Amino acid sequence: MERQAVIALPAGESREEDSLVSAARNGDRAAFGCLYDRYARMVHGILLARVPPREVDDLVQEVFLLALRQLHGLREVSRFGAWLGTITRNRANDYFRKTIPDEKVTEPVDENHAESRTTNSTADQEAAMILGVVRGLPEAYREPLILRLVEGMTGPEIAARTGLTHGSVRVNLYRGMQMLREKLAESAKGASLA
Amino acid sequence: MKDDYLWDGSGEPDPEVQKLEEALGRYRQNQPAPKFDEITQTHKAKRPRNFFNWRWEYQLSAVAASLLLAVTVFLFMRQRSRGNPGPSWDVVRLEGAPRVGWHSLGEKSGPGKLGIGQTLVTDSTSRASITLDETGRVEVDPGSRLRLVTNGPGRKRLSLERGTIHAVIWAPPGQFVVDTPSAVAVDLGCIYTLHVDDSGTGLLRTTMGWVGFKLNGHESFIPAGAICQTRPRIGPGTPYFESASESFRSALSRFDFESHTPAERNALLGILLVDARKDDALTLWHLLSRVSDADRPVVYDRLASLAAPPAGVTREGILRLDRSMLDAWWNALGFGDIYLWRTYERDWSQPSRNAK
Repeated sequence: MERQAVIALPAGESREEDSLVSAARNGDRAAFGCLYDRYARMVHGILLARVPPREVDDLVQEVFLLALRQLHGLREVSRFGAWLGTITRNRANDYFRKTIPDEKVTEPVDENHAESRTTNSTADQEAAMILGVVRGLPEAYREPLILRLVEGMTGPEIAARTGLTHGSVRVNLYRGMQMLREKLAESAKGASLA
Repeated sequence: MKDDYLWDGSGEPDPEVQKLEEALGRYRQNQPAPKFDEITQTHKAKRPRNFFNWRWEYQLSAVAASLLLAVTVFLFMRQRSRGNPGPSWDVVRLEGAPRVGWHSLGEKSGPGKLGIGQTLVTDSTSRASITLDETGRVEVDPGSRLRLVTNGPGRKRLSLERGTIHAVIWAPPGQFVVDTPSAVAVDLGCIYTLHVDDSGTGLLRTTMGWVGFKLNGHESFIPAGAICQTRPRIGPGTPYFESASESFRSALSRFDFESHTPAERNALLGILLVDARKDDALTLWHLLSRVSDADRPVVYDRLASLAAPPAGVTREGILRLDRSMLDAWWNALGFGDIYLWRTYERDWSQPSRNAK
């Protein structure tokens, strides 16, 4: 079955979004709620690429509350996505730093330590294993892959939301997918040998 | 094409990608938005209504009381803002007996406070950490002197006079800055270590995110895994990845900080261009604006061979140092969005007058 492109950002959306950010900055909580709807998946994905899944939902709320408090400091409304992404990564870094010894900070998370919300079925366990492998990839690859494969965002949407160029998102998606394929094949080979 | 399916979900579906989507979809974000609008409604409900239906004596009393309250609050806030520009940083002893001003933090003493103008000093056997809830945490190694310069809302500035700090910052980018004798370090969302020796020479190593380093118009961006040296009167050198070859790092240090003849400089540049790997695009991008007009074409060609310039970036534009093209190329390298730096560096580009 051929699936259609998931989401293509309408041309006028960025203008509409700038208005939402301006309104939110002026205290319009409903506008901020709309921004949450648009960016929650990005924030969730960035966090999922870095912290244990069980912590992600709470941290999403924390990130948006922090953004709400700091929104007055955002100078260019058109860069809301890049700004929010940085706040999210900072918050994840803080979590990482507090829970993992210094010398381990730059090491990828071991796939065996990956957690799932529920691990009571084979499918859940397989999903947890795959997520663990994705989280073990280099930082540049794991974020776009999680936004694409977990959050269901398209490449153009990832670029638009995070403020990155199409080129860098595209390259990281393809290279990351290639590396993920290799790692999954290695895992499968290891499992069959065991 | 299958690649199109990975990119935007169009074209022939890739079964492997579909399988991954299906498996991982269970982790997808599914929390509804918090009730931000209800917060507004709650505030609105508290507002007094039907004021114009009150008797005129009550209206007059209410207006007078409001004016009195407003004047009192204004005077109070003005006094407060003069005496206390921001919350103090909490200081916790980690080892030994670090000192804040004249106050020594011993084993039995509780946490201290670091106020504006105060200096935290650790001797050769003591360590401390300072924390501000909305900004981050800084661990201070033995043999350090760290001063709090400013602490206003959205503007936290420390001065590291000597020693080593490890900073973990969760404040939005551009709000946390550290002066050193030879450069200003602006946090752009990261974890980093900054060392300053007695001569004022500095070394910044980024663990996560990236940091901007600037002095006298010289600017360096240091992403995770990279290092940048800085020297008094010269400013920040060219950043490089720790994994670069020994000959590359040695040539770069001499290129940045030693005086040499044009022939020696050409030889050093030659080593850098030959030894550069794909990751060293970071270093070559910085060199574009640090080499002479005559040398820039060879740096451009080598960088373009390692990391092709994105659409809209031309050789001519880069050779004349067109800022928007340089920025676009930087963004394409994937180390961080340069918008953050261009937005925030204006406020911090020179060391504080209070910093030594």
